[in-house]
Amino acid sequence: MMRTRNTLLTLATVLLAALGIYILTQLPSAGGLVSALTLVFIWGIAAISLNLINGQLGILSLGHHGFMLIGGYVTALLVLPEQERSPFRTRLLSEWARENLDLDKWLRGLGLDFLANSMDAKFIIALLIAGAAASLVGFIVGFPSLRLKGDYLAIVTFGFGEIIRLLPSTPEVARFTNGPLGIKGIPADAGSIWWAFTVFVLTIFFFSRLKYSSYGRAFEGIREDEIAAEAMGVNLAYHKVLAFTISAFFAGVAGGMYASYLQSVDTQTFNFFVTFFLLVAISLGGLGSITGAILGTAIVVLVRIYGGFLEQPYPLSYAFYTLGGLMLLAFGFTYYIRTARRLRPVLEPKHYWFGAIGGVLFLATLIFQNHPFLTEPQQLFGLRRILLAVVLILIMIYRREGIMGRAELSWQMLFGPRAVTPTDEQRAQDAWLSNPELNPGLREDKEGENGAS
Amino acid sequence: MENYTLARGVQDFFNALTLGSLYALIALGYTMVYGIIRLINFAHGEIFMLGAFFAFYAMLFTPLPWAVALLVTVLVGGVVLGVLRAVLSASSGSRQIILGAVIFIGSFLLLTFRAVGWVEALLISMLLTAVAGVLLEAIAYRPLRGAPRESMLITAIAASFFLQNVGQLIFGPRIQGFTVETSLNQVLTLNIGGDTVYFTGILLLVPAITAVLLFILNRFITQSRLGKAMRATAQDAEVAQMMGVNVNQIISLTFLIGATLAAAAGVMYALRFGQVHPLMGLLPGIKAFTAAVIGGIGSLPGAVLGGLVLGFIEIYVVSLFPALTAYRDVFAFVLLILILLFRPSGLIGEDLTEKV
Repeated sequence: MMRTRNTLLTLATVLLAALGIYILTQLPSAGGLVSALTLVFIWGIAAISLNLINGQLGILSLGHHGFMLIGGYVTALLVLPEQERSPFRTRLLSEWARENLDLDKWLRGLGLDFLANSMDAKFIIALLIAGAAASLVGFIVGFPSLRLKGDYLAIVTFGFGEIIRLLPSTPEVARFTNGPLGIKGIPADAGSIWWAFTVFVLTIFFFSRLKYSSYGRAFEGIREDEIAAEAMGVNLAYHKVLAFTISAFFAGVAGGMYASYLQSVDTQTFNFFVTFFLLVAISLGGLGSITGAILGTAIVVLVRIYGGFLEQPYPLSYAFYTLGGLMLLAFGFTYYIRTARRLRPVLEPKHYWFGAIGGVLFLATLIFQNHPFLTEPQQLFGLRRILLAVVLILIMIYRREGIMGRAELSWQMLFGPRAVTPTDEQRAQDAWLSNPELNPGLREDKEGENGAS
Repeated sequence: MENYTLARGVQDFFNALTLGSLYALIALGYTMVYGIIRLINFAHGEIFMLGAFFAFYAMLFTPLPWAVALLVTVLVGGVVLGVLRAVLSASSGSRQIILGAVIFIGSFLLLTFRAVGWVEALLISMLLTAVAGVLLEAIAYRPLRGAPRESMLITAIAASFFLQNVGQLIFGPRIQGFTVETSLNQVLTLNIGGDTVYFTGILLLVPAITAVLLFILNRFITQSRLGKAMRATAQDAEVAQMMGVNVNQIISLTFLIGATLAAAAGVMYALRFGQVHPLMGLLPGIKAFTAAVIGGIGSLPGAVLGGLVLGFIEIYVVSLFPALTAYRDVFAFVLLILILLFRPSGLIGEDLTEKV
C-alpha cells in the first residue's frame, strides 16, 4: 500500500518534471535555462556514477574523466555522419577507422536499415557500446583496488585517468581519435534535453534500486569496514570490480551524451577538471547520497553557467570591496557562531587579524577609490574555478558530510510519520519506563539519588 | 639508434642529471610531507610554480630609492620573520636576531644597490615560497588534522586547483620567457670521439646546487635538534608529542623545507627551460611524485634516488627510442601505477630507512 503510493508519487513527479520541461522548451526565452538543465542532467549522470565509487564504496577515485573520455570518443566515432568523415576534416584519422568504425555501415551491413534510418536508435546503440567500452576499462581500473587502499589507490586511479587523457594525442591512438584536432560535427540528438532527462531518470532509478539491493548493502559494508564485510561473506574483489564497472558504464554514457551536447570532442574536453568538478559536486551534496549528488551537481552547474557575471570586467575596486566585505562578514559570522557555541575565548588573535585585514582592505579601497589602479576595469578570469576550489576546501574543513550527508530524499521522509511523533510502540515503552510499578529499577534509582543528596 | 654516439650519450647524461636533480628536489617535498602527516601534497607542484614566479618577478626589480627600499624591507622582512619565528621556535633569541639582521641588511642592500640577478632571485624566491608553503599548511591542511586521509587528499587537490587558477589570474595565463643574461647560457662544447657535445653552464650548475642543498638538508636532518624532532615525528607523532616535540611546529617546518627546495627547483627549472607559466607545476609535480614513489615514499635518500632514476629513464628512453617521444608523459604515469601496484614500498623499502 505504502509502496504503491510511493511508486505513484514518483511517477507523478517524473510526469510533472516532463511537463515542466515541455513548457520550458516551448517558451522562446528559456533557451539558456534549457541548456543549463541539460547540462545538469548529463553531469548528474556522471556525478551519480562517481558517487557509487567515492560515496558508496568509499574508494576515492580520481579517474572518472578517463571513463567519460572513452565514452565520448566511442560515441563520436560511431555516429559521426558521412560528410564529417571526409579526409579534410579528419586528417589524422586513419583510413581504416574512417571506413570501418561507422555504426551506420554496420547496421546496414546486418540488414537493419530501419535502425540505421533513425538517429535516435543509432544513438541508443552507440551509447550502449560507449558505456560497454568504458566499463571494460573500468573493469581493468578496478583491479588495483584489490591490492591497494586509500590515497595510493586514489593516485592509481588518477594515473589511469591521466593516461587515458594523454593517449588521444599520441600518434598511434590519433588514428582513432584524430589527435588534438578532435572530432567535430557529432549530431546533437543525444545532447538534447529529452535525451538527457530520460537517461537521467533511468540512471536515478537504476542507482536507487542498486543502493538498497544486496549489492548496495555490500558496497556500503565495504566502505564501513572491509574486514568485517569480508567476514560477513561479502566477496571484496567481486564487489569492488563490479562497482568500478557499473560506474564506468554510466560515466561512458554521460561522456557520450556530453560529446553530443558539445557536438565535438577533443583532447581538452575531458581533462582532470571534469573529475574535480564532479568531486566538488558530490562532496557538496554529500558523499554517498544520490540526492546529494544531484543537488551538488545542480548547484555547481548553475554556478558555472550563471556565474559568468563574476568574470565580467569591473573596476578593480569592486573586487577589493567584495573581498574586504566578505572578510568582515566572515569575522562577524565567526563571532556569532563562537558566541552561540559558548567557546572561550570568543575570538582568538587570528580572527582579529583576519577581520582587521578585511577592514583595512575595505577602508583602503574606500579612501583610494579614485586611484587609476582601482578604477581601471579588470576581468577576473577563472574566478568561478577558484570559488569551486575554495568551496571544496571549506566543505572538507567545516562540513565533511556535505548538504545531505548520506541521507536520501524519499517519500517516507516527506510524508512518513515524523520522528518527533512517537509511535504506539514508543508510547508503550515510555509508559513502561515512567511507571514505577512496572519498572522497579526506576524507584531504586530515585531513592539512590535522594539518599545521596 | 644507428647514429647513437658516445657524444650523444654524454649529452644525454648531462640532461638526465639535470632533470633528475630537479625531480629529486621536488620529490623531497612530497616525501617529507608524506612521511610526517601521510598526506600526498597535491599542491606541491603549484608551490614549485610559485617559486619560479617569485624569482621571475624578483628579477623584474630595478634598484629602488633607499627610503622605499627600507619600507619594503621592513614590511616583507617582518612578515617573513614572523612566519619563520612561528615555525622554528619562539624562544631561541640571539640566533634569530642575527638571522633577522642579516636578512634585513642583506635585502636592503640588495634592493638599493643593484638589479636582482638570478642568484639573489633564487634566494628571495626560496624565502618567499617557504612562507607560501607554511601558509598553505596553516590555512588548508591544519584544520584537517586528524580527518580521514581521503578528506585531506581532496583538500590537497582543491588547494592545487586553487593555486593553479589564482596563478592564472594573477600571473596571466600565457607562457612568459625566463631569460637570464649570464655566462651560464653560453654554449660550451666538448669533443668526445670526434663528435661535439653541446651544453650550457646551467646543466652543470643545477646538479651542483642540488648537491649543496641536499648536503645542507642532510646535515640539518641528522645533526640538528629540529631535525631530530622531525625524525621522531615521522616515526610516531603521538609519542614524539609526549616527548615534548611541538608537532604542529615540526609539520610547519616540514612544509617550509619542502617549499624551499621546490622553489629552488622551480627557479632552476625556469632557468633550464627558459619559460614560466601558471600550469608549469602540473607535470613536474606529478613526475616528482612518481619519483618519490619509485624511491619509496617517506624515505629521503629514496626520493633523491627516485628522482635521478626517473630523470635518466625519461631522457634515455626518449633518446634511444625517438618513436616513444609522444609517450613521454604517459610513461611516467605507467611507471607510477606499476610501482604502486607491485612494489608500493619503492626501491628503498620503507622499513629499511628512517622516514622523515
